[in-house]
Formats: sequence, structure tokens, C-alpha cells
Amino acid sequence: MAVPAIRIDGLTKRYGTSTALCDLDLEVEPGEVVGYLGPNGAGKTTTIRLLLGLGRPTAGRAEIFGLDCQRQAVAAHRRLAYVPAEASLWPSLTGDETLHLLGRVQGQVDLGYRAELIGRFALDPTKKVRAYSKGNRQKLLLIAALMSRPELLVLDEPTGGLDPLMEQAFRHSVGEARDRGQTVFLSSHILSEVEALCDRVAILRDGRLAEIGTLAQLRHLSALTVEATFDGVPPDLTGVPGVTRAIVDGCHVHLQLQGPIAPLIEALAGTGLRGLLSREPSLEELFLAHYGAADDELTRDHVPVGVSDGDGDRP
Amino acid sequence: MLATLVARRAVRSGALWGLVFAVFIVVQTSAYTSQYTTRAARAGLARAYGTNLGLNALLGQARAINTVSGWAEWRFIGILTILGSVWGLLTATRLLRGEEEAGRLDLLLVGQTTRGRAAIQATAGLGAGLLAMFVMVAAGTIIAGSRASVGLSPGHCLALSAALTSGAAIFLAVGALVSQLASTRRRAAGIAGALLGVAYAIRMVADTNASVHRLIWLSPLGWIEESHPLTGHNLSPLLLVLVLTMTTAVAACWLARRRDVGAAVLADPDASAPHDRLLGDPIGLAVRLMRSTVAAWLLAVAAFAVLIGTTAESAASDRSGSSGIEQSLSRLGGHGSPVADYLGLTILVVALIVALIAASQVTAICGEEADGHLEALLVRPLRRTSWFAGRAALSILVLAVAGVVGGIGTWAGAATQHAPVGFGTLIAAGLNVVPPALLLFGVGALTYGLRPRVTTRVVYGYLAWSSLIELAGGLVKVSHWLLDTSVFFHMTPAPATKPDWTAAAVLAGLGIAGTVLGGLCFDHRDLQNA
Ligand SMILES: Nc1ncnc2c1ncn2[C@@H]1O[C@H](COP(=O)(O)OP(=O)(O)O)[C@@H](O)[C@H]1O
Ligand SMILES: [Mg+2]
Repeated sequence: MAVPAIRIDGLTKRYGTSTALCDLDLEVEPGEVVGYLGPNGAGKTTTIRLLLGLGRPTAGRAEIFGLDCQRQAVAAHRRLAYVPAEASLWPSLTGDETLHLLGRVQGQVDLGYRAELIGRFALDPTKKVRAYSKGNRQKLLLIAALMSRPELLVLDEPTGGLDPLMEQAFRHSVGEARDRGQTVFLSSHILSEVEALCDRVAILRDGRLAEIGTLAQLRHLSALTVEATFDGVPPDLTGVPGVTRAIVDGCHVHLQLQGPIAPLIEALAGTGLRGLLSREPSLEELFLAHYGAADDELTRDHVPVGVSDGDGDRP
Repeated sequence: MLATLVARRAVRSGALWGLVFAVFIVVQTSAYTSQYTTRAARAGLARAYGTNLGLNALLGQARAINTVSGWAEWRFIGILTILGSVWGLLTATRLLRGEEEAGRLDLLLVGQTTRGRAAIQATAGLGAGLLAMFVMVAAGTIIAGSRASVGLSPGHCLALSAALTSGAAIFLAVGALVSQLASTRRRAAGIAGALLGVAYAIRMVADTNASVHRLIWLSPLGWIEESHPLTGHNLSPLLLVLVLTMTTAVAACWLARRRDVGAAVLADPDASAPHDRLLGDPIGLAVRLMRSTVAAWLLAVAAFAVLIGTTAESAASDRSGSSGIEQSLSRLGGHGSPVADYLGLTILVVALIVALIAASQVTAICGEEADGHLEALLVRPLRRTSWFAGRAALSILVLAVAGVVGGIGTWAGAATQHAPVGFGTLIAAGLNVVPPALLLFGVGALTYGLRPRVTTRVVYGYLAWSSLIELAGGLVKVSHWLLDTSVFFHMTPAPATKPDWTAAAVLAGLGIAGTVLGGLCFDHRDLQNA
């Protein structure tokens, strides 16, 4: 078997008494695109900093292409590129100068691709970093990472500040990297992005791995989303086996169904059912099912009105 | 909201420095009264010091120092005004431009009525910090003055406290003004520091040469000296201080109202053609990022070196019978010619600037990490230890060059006056000021390896402590182990005596050991998040 692109083995990181990451095991095969999801403070950034040798683990170890992330960091870094969530670069350098410097330190640059990326992301490289907006700084970091065509791309919420057009350019570039056989480890809070790009998804919660698998596997684990429309007042379906989170909205009922669908069909017979819609959950719903709508503010924007559990404190 | 935020931090820092000043005042006063008990002893002291132009150049003109009042006034104004001014410019630029640069001001300004109002609030916050410092200093002077052996009236104590905090007041305002002009905290502090340097240099020249003493009115530091709060009866120079402070503060608020948040009056161009020459590796990058700052520092070293060189001959020839000086000055064992004696003392200014360079180098290294820039390098194939070693070596080189520049400058200045000191002697004297700076750098590097977040405070705190000890130790005997803690203490006063190269090597060795150890610790810890 090939050497895994990333191998994390019992990785633990404590800050004082608080545990940011607890006994994490994870493997990423070469050529895979893996999404790394989790609410704020779950430990995604911590994991990545340990992978890069920026942080020192409390216990456990990690390897990149078989190279120890702590002791062989330089060799590992030759084969990867990283985009952080917050772009902080030298304000007095221009975009061009920054790319030149980072390329020289990286030691390998595809100059043609670099020019193509600058065009694709519509970046004006003659400007100084201090004059760039947050989005433009983020683009600069993306270009700097992609232009070296690394075997492994480690991306930590890389699209914060990008507009939809640039988000598109980003997806295109990651797709390109995947097609070339590059491995991508993408931490993200934009679920549609992960859904569109990733082969496998790992979900982290409170520093522990909550779930890992392909999107299809995760969907099986999870409930089916059912929307039923009635002629009159909907019946009470909460007692039906497998039904969770039933929400009544006028003559509509919105519910999650776990397990076989037969009991629900039986319960619906003769209730004045006008329409029935069922679909597999989106990653969004998987995510919410794991964390509950209320405890993750990141996804608040994505929650359609009326689907929430109706906590009283939401404005 | 903004006022409270700035005020809270300014008050904390002002009170802390004020406390240090107060302790200094109390300790020094009691040392004077217990050590120079008789009239004859004080007369001897006055003979030795009143005529020592080296000390006059460093601290200002001594007047009636055979009395507690005259001595306290000279001593405390000379030392604490400078430290207060440095505090003022660092605090103002940090709390105004520094916060703005970090983007934290944007958040605070949401919901503020106007930009101008916010500027007034921030300035008021700085004023609160100044008040805190004044209260502490006043408490210190009143405690010291109320003792029977000192006997200063509360009015005199308050006047002295006002004079002692005048430098802080002026440079808080100057710091607020340059924070509007410059686009980065470092540049703002640089401009304010240059202004302080010019003010100090003018005062130094005026106090060294009686024929040009009138120049003193060109320097705000001169006004403070001329106020003589304890020995004179004319506090009107302090009115000048008040006027200058108020106008500067008003100008700062006016400028603040007329610009955007985050922008600066002296903005740099936002685009330029690429200059890749130095950008091939991290060391080149470091050179490029610090070249203008280092050039400014070296210019300051050269300027002060030339200045003390040119004043040496006249100072030495003016001097009349100060034979007692060798005995009463523990560290200034003047065995050389009068010119060499003068230089041996005044070169302390150069030593202080070189030590400041060391501190600023440590701060710059810390800043690279704290700003998150270092991360962009270290996630690439670059070993942490090689980055650190290269960066530290560059800093040490800068310190050595600064020492040589100091020596050459002093020699050039002295040569214009045909003063009888050799080139080699002065180069040696210049190099002689490097080891204390190296030691400070080593302490800073070690702290950086262990606790990066406190490094800046530790380095500047240690430097302030060392300067206080140094300036205090010369006159009033301080216990030896206390003197030992100063980075300057084991520096011989070359060219007055021959440099003690063994002691220098020990200082330098300790500094380098600290640097190496710091590098190892740095390699083993987490990199700080931006
Ligand atoms: N330098 C640090 N010191 C103390 N706690 C930290 C530090 N960095 C992260 N943490 C804590 O570790 C946890 C995980 O943080 P992080 O990895 O940044 O989460 P994520 O990237 O998933 O949002 C959080 O609770 C955070 O507060
Ligand atoms: Mg994160």
C-alpha cells in the first residue's frame, strides 16, 4: 500500500488545562480530497498547526508522506503547501514581491501556472499587501500555495473573504489539483464547498473525531428528510417510530426519519395527505443533526427559517 | 468607550512607571542625605560635580547641588525627564497608531459619533495616564520631601513633580500627533524618537558650552531644565511646556478628524514595481524590512558620537580643578586626559543608544512572529533554528557596526577640535559599548524563546532598570549587588580608562549564550498564533 499523505496517530494537544485536541486518529490517502468540518473551537486549526510543526503535540504523532511532522518538518514542508485562515503577510511588500519571496523559500514554482492563477483570481500584484482587502490577501496566499504544485495542499478555511466569483475560481483550482493527483486536506465551514469538492469528510467535535466517511456513508448513517403537505391540520406524527424533529408549519410538516420508511407511510394513510417529498440529507443537515441548530452560530446563515427547532432565544 | 479603553491601559502603565520614579526619588534622596551629612561633604560634592561638564552634558547643568534641593532638581530632572519622554512617546504611539494598525480601532469606532470625537476621547485617555504618573511621582516627592533632613514644602514638591512629568506630557502629545502622520506604530515611534533625540542634543550642546547656552530655549527639554522648580522662583518655562503640549494635542485631534481610519497623513504609495533583489531568502527579507530603521539608528549613534566628540575639547579646557571626581565616582575612574575623562562619561549616551538598538532588534524578532509573518516562512522548507540563527546573527552584526560607528563618530568630532585622542583608542571605546547591548540582546532572546508575549516588556524594563541603576550608582553609593544587575555596570569607561576586554568578553559571552539558549527554547515551543 502507498504511504498515506497524512497519518495522524493519537494526536493530543492541551493548552494548560483545556484540551484542544484529544487522541485523534486520521489517515488521508494520496490523491484524496478530505473535508475537515467542525464548529468553532472544535480543534481544526490546532490539528493543522500540529501537522505543520508550528505547534508541539502533547502526545501522539503525525506523519506527512511518512515524514515525521516534528522531526522531519523541513522535508515534509517540501511536499506540501498551506493556506491559513487569517492572511498576515508583510504589509510593505507588493503582491509580486511576496510571491517571489515565498516561491524562493518554497524552492519550487511553476511560473506559468503562477501567471495563470494571478489572472484567474484577478489579483493586481503590483499593489502592496497593506493596500489589499482581506479577500485579496487571501487570494495571494492561495496563489502562493497553489503555484508550487505541492503533493499535499493543507487548507484551513481558505475562502473567508472571497466573493462568489472567486469562490468559484477556488473550487476550480482545487478540482484541478485533484485531477493532477494532488492530495487536499480542506478545513472549512462552508458546507456546500466541502460537499462539492470532497471525497471524504471528517467531522470534529470538542477535539474528538465525531464522524468520518464518504458523503454517501454519512448520509446512510443519518436521517431522511421528509416534507409532507396536508389538506387540513396535519396529524400528530411524533409517535411514529423513527420520526425525530417534526416541525409543523401551517399545513406542512417537516421531519427527519431514521430507519425504515414503512411505519411512516402507514401512519400517513388516510390523513388527507396532498404531497410528500423526501430526500437524502444535505451535508448541512448532517452537520446540524450532529451539533443541533442552536449550538453552532457558524451555520446560522444556512438554516432555512422554519426548520429550526424553534428555540425561543433566536431573534 | 474608547476613552475608557485607552485610559485604562495608559493609567496602568503611567502608574507603574510613576511608581518606579517615586521609588527612585525616595531612595536617592535618602541616600544623599545619609551619605553627605556635613556641609563640607556637600561642598566637595558640588566642586566635583558642578564643574564636570561630562555630567552637565548628560543630565543638564548642575546648580547649587550642595543643597538637597539643587541636587534633587538636577538629578531627577536630568534622568526622569528622559525616561518620562520615552514612556510618553511609546505609550501614545502604541495606544493610538498601534491599535489602529492592528485594526482594533475600526471595531471601537462603530457606533462612535465622529472620528474627531474619538480622537478627543483617546487623547483624554492618554491624559488620564499622565495624571496617574503625576500622582505617583507627587506621592514620591512628598514622601521624600517631608523628611526633616530634606524639608521641602508641599508646594515645592508639586512643582518638582510637574517638572518631572513635563517630558512625559510633551511626548505623549507628540506621540499622538505622529500617530496621525505615520502609517505604522514603528514609524510613528521612530519619528517621535528622532524629535526627542534632537531636543536632547540641543540641550546637551547648550549645557556644555556657556557661550551658546541660549540655545537651550530651542529645546523643550531645556525649558524643563530652566524651570528650576526647587532653586528658582520662576516656573514660567513650564507654561511653555503646557502651551506646547496643548497645541500638539489639539493638532493631533484636528488631523485625526480629517483622515480615514487606518489611513495616515504621510502615507506610502500603495503600489510599486517589484524589487526582488533582497527577497531571495529570509535574511535578505530581514535586511530589507529593517534597513531604514537601522539606518536611522546608526544615524542617531553617529550624530551623538560626533556631538560628544566636538564638545570634548571645550568641555575639558573649561574644567577647573575637579580632582575630587576620581574618588567620588565609583565607575568613572578618570585616569586619562581631561578629554578622555569627558568622553569616558558621555559615551554612555552612545552605549544607551546601542542598547536601545539591541532592544528594538529583539522587539522586531518578536514582532515577526506575533504579527503572523514568520508563520508564512516556517510552513515552508525552512528550519526554525536556521531562521533564528540568521536573524540573531544579523542583529549582532548591527550592534557591532553601531559600536564602530560610535567610535568613528566620536573620533571625527574630536578631530575637528584637534582633541588629543587617537583613532584606535576611540574605535576601541566604541566597541567597548557593544557587550552590554549584547547581554541585553541575549536576555531578550532567551525571554523570546521562553515567553514571547512578555519579551518586549522584559527587555525595555531591564534597559530602564539598568539606566536608572547606572545613573544612580555613579553618585550615591548603591549596594554592589544591585549595581551588578545593570547591563552597563561592567563596562569600563573607555576612553577614560583602557577597556577591560576580559569583562567585555564575559558580557558578550553571556549575551551569546542567552541567544543560543533562546534559539533552542524557541525550537521547542509552539509558534504563537497571530
Ligand atoms: N494558543 C492557544 N492557547 C490556548 N488555547 C488555544 C490556543 N489555540 C487554540 N486554543 C483552544 O483550542 C480549541 C480549539 O481551537 P481551534 O483549533 O482554533 O478551533 P477551530 O479551528 O476548529 O475553530 C479552542 O477551544 C481554542 O480556544
Ligand atoms: Mg480555525
